[in-house]
Amino acid sequence: MIKKETELLDEIKSKYKLEGKIQKERRICISITKNNLIAILKELKNLGFIHLSSISVTDWLDEGNYEITYHLWSYDDKILFTVKTKISRDKPEIQSVTPIWEENAQIHERELHELFGVNFKNNTDLSPLFLEDWDGPPPFRKDFNWREYVKENYYDINNKRETVYYD
Amino acid sequence: MINQIETLYQDTDYDLYFGPAHPGSGNFGVKLKIDGEIVTNARADPGYLHRGFEKLMEYRTPIQNAVISDRLCVLEPLNWNLIHAEAVDELMGIDIPERAKYIRVIMAELSRIQSHIIWFGVFSKGTGFDTGFKIAFGYRDYILDLFELITGGRVYPAGYICPGGVRRDFPNSAKDKILKVLEKIDEMIRLEKLENPALKARAKGVGILGLKEALRLGATGPVLRASGMKTDVRKDDTYEIYDRFDFNIPVREEGDCYARYLIGIDEMIESIKIIKQALNEIPKGEVIVSSLKKPKLSVKIPSGEVYIRNEVARGEAGIYMVSDGSDKPYRVKVRGPDFLHMIPVLEYLLRGTQIADVPAVYWSLNICPADMDR
Repeated sequence: MIKKETELLDEIKSKYKLEGKIQKERRICISITKNNLIAILKELKNLGFIHLSSISVTDWLDEGNYEITYHLWSYDDKILFTVKTKISRDKPEIQSVTPIWEENAQIHERELHELFGVNFKNNTDLSPLFLEDWDGPPPFRKDFNWREYVKENYYDINNKRETVYYD
Repeated sequence: MINQIETLYQDTDYDLYFGPAHPGSGNFGVKLKIDGEIVTNARADPGYLHRGFEKLMEYRTPIQNAVISDRLCVLEPLNWNLIHAEAVDELMGIDIPERAKYIRVIMAELSRIQSHIIWFGVFSKGTGFDTGFKIAFGYRDYILDLFELITGGRVYPAGYICPGGVRRDFPNSAKDKILKVLEKIDEMIRLEKLENPALKARAKGVGILGLKEALRLGATGPVLRASGMKTDVRKDDTYEIYDRFDFNIPVREEGDCYARYLIGIDEMIESIKIIKQALNEIPKGEVIVSSLKKPKLSVKIPSGEVYIRNEVARGEAGIYMVSDGSDKPYRVKVRGPDFLHMIPVLEYLLRGTQIADVPAVYWSLNICPADMDR
C-alpha cells in the first residue's frame, strides 16, 4: 500500500542527510536543516509536488525555535509531503520559497511575516495583510499576551464600567 | 488653475474601492486602479473580518473550539466543524461510531449544497439576475429548517459535529424530511438550469482562468475543476467514509465564470447522490464515543501533530494542529481555500477586465471572506 511513499522517501534520503518517516498511507514527513531547504523543495516540486497547500509556523517558546512547516500535495501520486525546518526565534530569517511556488507562496509568507515576524529573504512583497496600523509586536508569538495588551491599550482602569476586566 | 482642472478633466484613470462595506462585496475590499472602463490593477485588501481564530483556539479546549470552528466560515459552518473534529479525533486516536460517520457525511453534504445555493444566489445578484437570488435564498431555507431540526441552530450548529462523533442523534422524522428537502433542491436545480440569457451573456467568456495559472496561483476545488483539473479531496485523499459512495467529479475545460457556475450546479447533483446513498446505508447505534458522551471541559490531547485536508464547498480546507499534551492545542493553523482564491487568483482575474465584469468575476469564485481572514 505504501510502495510509492517508500520510493519517494528513499529518493530524497539518498541525496540529502535528513530524518524522515512515513506517518501513514499518503503522508510523509521529513525534518531538514534550513540550508538545504530550497534545494530539497525544488527537488520535490520536480517530483510532482506542485501544490503548496500551506505554510505554518509553530512557536516553540521553551526551545527558542520557530518551526516552519510546508505542506505539499502531489496531484499525480496523491501524497501529502510535510517538510519541517527549525530557525532561531530571536532572529527569524529564512529563504523564501517564492522562486518555486510564486504567488501562492508569497501570500502565505506575507501572512506569516505579519503574524510571527519571520523574515523571508527574497520575498518582494511582505507588506501588512490583515493588521492595519499595527505597531505592536507580531501578535501570534507565544510570549505576546493579548489580554494584557488590550487592557493596556484599549481599557481604562478608572472607568467604572471597565474595572471588571482588571479583577 | 483652469489648466489644472482641464488636465484633471482629461485624465481617465482613477482609483475605485470595491468593498469592504459595499453590499455586493461582503466584508472584503479590493482596491482597483481603473483607466476608462478597464481595470488596470487590482490589490486585495483583507483584514476587515480578521478575528485571530488561530490564536483564540490556543486558549481554549477542544469542546470550546468545536463551537468556535463554526465561525470559521459563515456560509458552511458544518464543514469546518467536521475538519476540527477530525483533527482532534486523529490526535486522540478516537475511532468514532459507525452511525456518527454517516451522520457526519450527510450533514457535510447538506452544508455543501446550501453553500452552493448561496453561491448561485450571490452570483445571480452580482450579474443583475435578481430572480436567481430570490430563488436561491428561498430554497436554502428548507435546508436551514433541517439544520434547526437536527442541530438546533439554523446557521450555526454550535459544535454539532464534535470530537468523538456528533452531539446528538437524528430525530425520527429526519430521514423523511431530508428526502423531501432533496426533492425541493432537485426542483431548484431544474429552475437554475433553465438557460438565462442575461446571466449567460454576463458570465460566458469572462474571467478566464487557464489551468496553468490556476495551479500556479494555488486554486483548489470548484475553481480548479472549472479550469480542467479532475481533482477532489474526497476522492484523492479520502476522509471519513467517502470511499464507500459512488459519485462523480464534475470537470469543465473553459475556466470562465459560466463554467464555474455550472460546476456549482453539477456538484449539488453529486451531493444529493451521496446523501441518498448514505441515508440508505445508515446503521443504527451510538453517535458519540462513550468517553466523550458527557462533555468534559478538560480533555487531554496527546502530544503530536496532524494536518487534516477536507473538501469544503469552496475548495481544499485544512487544519494543522500541534499539541504538546495539555488540554489545549499548542498551535492551530487554518488553511482556508479562499485565502488563495481571494488574493492571488482574484487579483490575477481582475487585471484587464471591464468594470462591469468585476462583480461577475468576484462572485464566480465562490467567495467567503470569513475563512480567508479567519
